[in-house]
Amino acid sequence: MKKFFFLLILSTSVIYSQSSTGTIKGRVVAVDNSPLEGVNVFIPTTNYGSATDIRGFFEIKNIPFGVYNVEFSLIGYKKELKENIDLNQISVNVTVILYEAAFETKQIIVSAGKYEQDKEDLSVSTTVLRPEIISQKSIHSFDDLLRYVPGVQMTMDQVSIRGSSGYSKGAGTRVLTAIDGVPFYSGDMGDIVWEMIPLQDIERIEVIKGPASSLYGSTAIGGVINIITKSASKNPFTNFKSYIGTYDKPSYDIWKWDDSYRTFYGLSLTHSNHYKNLGYTFSIKKFDDMSYRQNDYYKRYTAYTKLNYLFSDSSNLSLLANYLYSMRGNYLYWKDSRNALIPKPGEENNKVRSNRLFLSLIYDKKFSDSFTAQFKSSYYRTKFDGIAIEFTTSTANLFRNELIGTFNLSDKFRLISGLEFSYTKVKSNIFKSPDYFGSGLYAQMEYNVTEDLILNAGARYDYLKLDTLKGANAITPRAGLNYKLTNELILRSSIGTGFRVPTPSEVFTSAGVGGGIDVIENPNLTYETSISFEAGLLYNYSKSLRFDAAFYQTEYNDFIEPNLTYTGDIQFINLPKARVQGIEAIIDWDFVPQMFKLNISYNYMWSKDIEREKAMKYRPRNVLYTNLSYNHYPFEAGIDFRFWSKVEEIDDALVEPPLNYVKEGNKRVPVYVADINAGFNFFIGSLPAKTFVSLKNIFNYNYVEFLGNIAPIRNITLSFELFY
Amino acid sequence: MKKIILTVSIIILFLINGCDKGIEPADEITSPTGFKGKVTFSGNWNNNIKRTHLVVFKKPINKDDDFFPPNLTFVIDSIPKGASQFNYNSLENNYIESFTISAGEYSYVVVAQSNTPALSLQRKDWVVIGVYCENGDQTKPKKLIINAGRISDDINIDVNFNNPPPQPPGGM
Repeated sequence: MKKFFFLLILSTSVIYSQSSTGTIKGRVVAVDNSPLEGVNVFIPTTNYGSATDIRGFFEIKNIPFGVYNVEFSLIGYKKELKENIDLNQISVNVTVILYEAAFETKQIIVSAGKYEQDKEDLSVSTTVLRPEIISQKSIHSFDDLLRYVPGVQMTMDQVSIRGSSGYSKGAGTRVLTAIDGVPFYSGDMGDIVWEMIPLQDIERIEVIKGPASSLYGSTAIGGVINIITKSASKNPFTNFKSYIGTYDKPSYDIWKWDDSYRTFYGLSLTHSNHYKNLGYTFSIKKFDDMSYRQNDYYKRYTAYTKLNYLFSDSSNLSLLANYLYSMRGNYLYWKDSRNALIPKPGEENNKVRSNRLFLSLIYDKKFSDSFTAQFKSSYYRTKFDGIAIEFTTSTANLFRNELIGTFNLSDKFRLISGLEFSYTKVKSNIFKSPDYFGSGLYAQMEYNVTEDLILNAGARYDYLKLDTLKGANAITPRAGLNYKLTNELILRSSIGTGFRVPTPSEVFTSAGVGGGIDVIENPNLTYETSISFEAGLLYNYSKSLRFDAAFYQTEYNDFIEPNLTYTGDIQFINLPKARVQGIEAIIDWDFVPQMFKLNISYNYMWSKDIEREKAMKYRPRNVLYTNLSYNHYPFEAGIDFRFWSKVEEIDDALVEPPLNYVKEGNKRVPVYVADINAGFNFFIGSLPAKTFVSLKNIFNYNYVEFLGNIAPIRNITLSFELFY
Repeated sequence: MKKIILTVSIIILFLINGCDKGIEPADEITSPTGFKGKVTFSGNWNNNIKRTHLVVFKKPINKDDDFFPPNLTFVIDSIPKGASQFNYNSLENNYIESFTISAGEYSYVVVAQSNTPALSLQRKDWVVIGVYCENGDQTKPKKLIINAGRISDDINIDVNFNNPPPQPPGGM
């Protein structure tokens, strides 16, 4: 009988133990559905835990039945807490997506200095952006993304870092934009076509604030934006994204010019995989925007391919091809402030057709632990046709080759050196048909004096020859230091020089812009130079609260700006001297870690045309950006607010008598723009998906970034993404 | 949490409906804006003169560059040689089509002569022969005030070839 009871108790306990414990298992993937290895998976306040394997799978066994919260964490990714997992059977399956942390400041690698560095070791101010914010903020074009970066100002489609540029219809950028370190600007205008940048294929974006001519040459006088594209996925991965949106009605009835809602939409499909040593990514996209303004529409088609072939662990080759076709209305200025959303009479049917092809080839070879070489070759063909009463056209072919060597001479000493050649041929009926030759030779060393002190210094020599103009020689040295005063406080400082040679469009443009005004050429235009200084600090008050502050000053000589001549024409001229000074402060606060985050940046900038003793055009003195974000899987939300003080100086000659070309074009106001967004992550079957809604310019505030051009009015976007 | 969401929603709705809308459309101006008057001449005309224009400057002329756009704001048609009086209206006698004049104050309004067949934009080619002034004192230029939607009248200038006004800086 005792035996019977013993067996009964034993069998009951076995049955109980079999039915009262279970397994939580599943998979952890990144947003692109690629498996994440080494993710810590544990149940807080218990000893139950595990980690994911190479395929992203995990398993936690023998957990008593019950309801649990399970936490997933991996360095570089936002922590996720999966709540209320009801374990009441043998096993429960869980799939989790981890998101990379955006606006991170620690352990971020930056390669804009032509080699990879920890962001905290840099001697210049840098912001690194993660691609998640592209979906969160419903960004459709890269320039919209830059509107949220501290120290960066977008005037229409022209980028300026710390006041380096005003507005010149894109001609002659002072910020070098590069894709994987390969410069990306057109051969004729020197402009950047933002819509060509493949938003779905970005790994990270590095924004270097301050001159980088000592490494990149002429165009980098104001800074560098380096876009790092994603490597091909190790597993088959397809991403489908679509968005649709509409503009609200204008604030004033008098501005209404169309009774229907003006809509926009976009579609993109990306596929990535590996075949043996070949990684590949293909994507195609279509964008369509009716615009809130008359004759401001666009239709764009892009195709993007990235191939990467791994010869060995020490050598690989990548090819990037990017193509754009676009047709858009050519909206220049409003008719007047009572007709603020329709163009000037006679410009209702002007349009621009563009074809652009960008190819780059990068070959990396590691010869030894102390020497690595990289060869970069690129070809950028741009063609546009301006269709109006006067037909304008320009085709530019830009070839570039660069050889970079990185020498790790010791644990403390590194030398980066390079040689670069470029050649451009332009065929145009408005810029003449000049050719343009450029060459550069540079070297930069970095020396870790102690664990806490890093010094770097370098110089570049450039020779550039623009058609019949006299060749320009420039030597641009720089030096910087980074000193970790304590574990929390890092000081940085740099001094550097820059130069910029005028583009063919600035020298040779000869075309009418309407109203009897012509842009005329200036063969006497010479190159501009600069000297810049920056001192900054980064203070990590705690893991969740960080401060960054910097003082900067740049002195420009022979600064190139468009100007109205005494004959009533527009001509690019050299201003004798200009100065930009400023203070930038950034606060990054995770006030509820992993859930609520606040980012505030403020920039006070004083720019001065020294000869005329007034501010430089289109540079706001005060700029404030704030972002409050909420993340609690599966929900995401955010509020952004941007403020610019009223721009002090504009092109008065265009808006005042005698020309009065843009009627009431001097109407301008401080800028207050607020955007909100919210998103939800979910699964369709086992496929991760997300949907976002974004409301931009929620107060429907009417402002201009450039005279006679009302910025986008209130609009709403609904987007959907699927990963499989 | 619900209270917070409700409060934030109310604040956002309040802000959306209550905020400044930024740039506003200007009031409609149905009447034309401009100026008119007459130029009277006394004394003998110089035979070599090819052009005589009434010109309007936004600011006083202190240096050569101030003689030209954008400070040069408006040019009236050339006055026929030998005329003793010339009546003008800026709406009808606008010599440079792309130039317009709008509401504002203009500091220096003069009649100037040149001996170049085409309109020259070189300061040295011009001589000022009459100034819109206070009480006939050509050393004291009078401001031309133009209001939106109105034609300022009686903008009269007396030219006495025997008593030319002081010349602005620059010139021959």
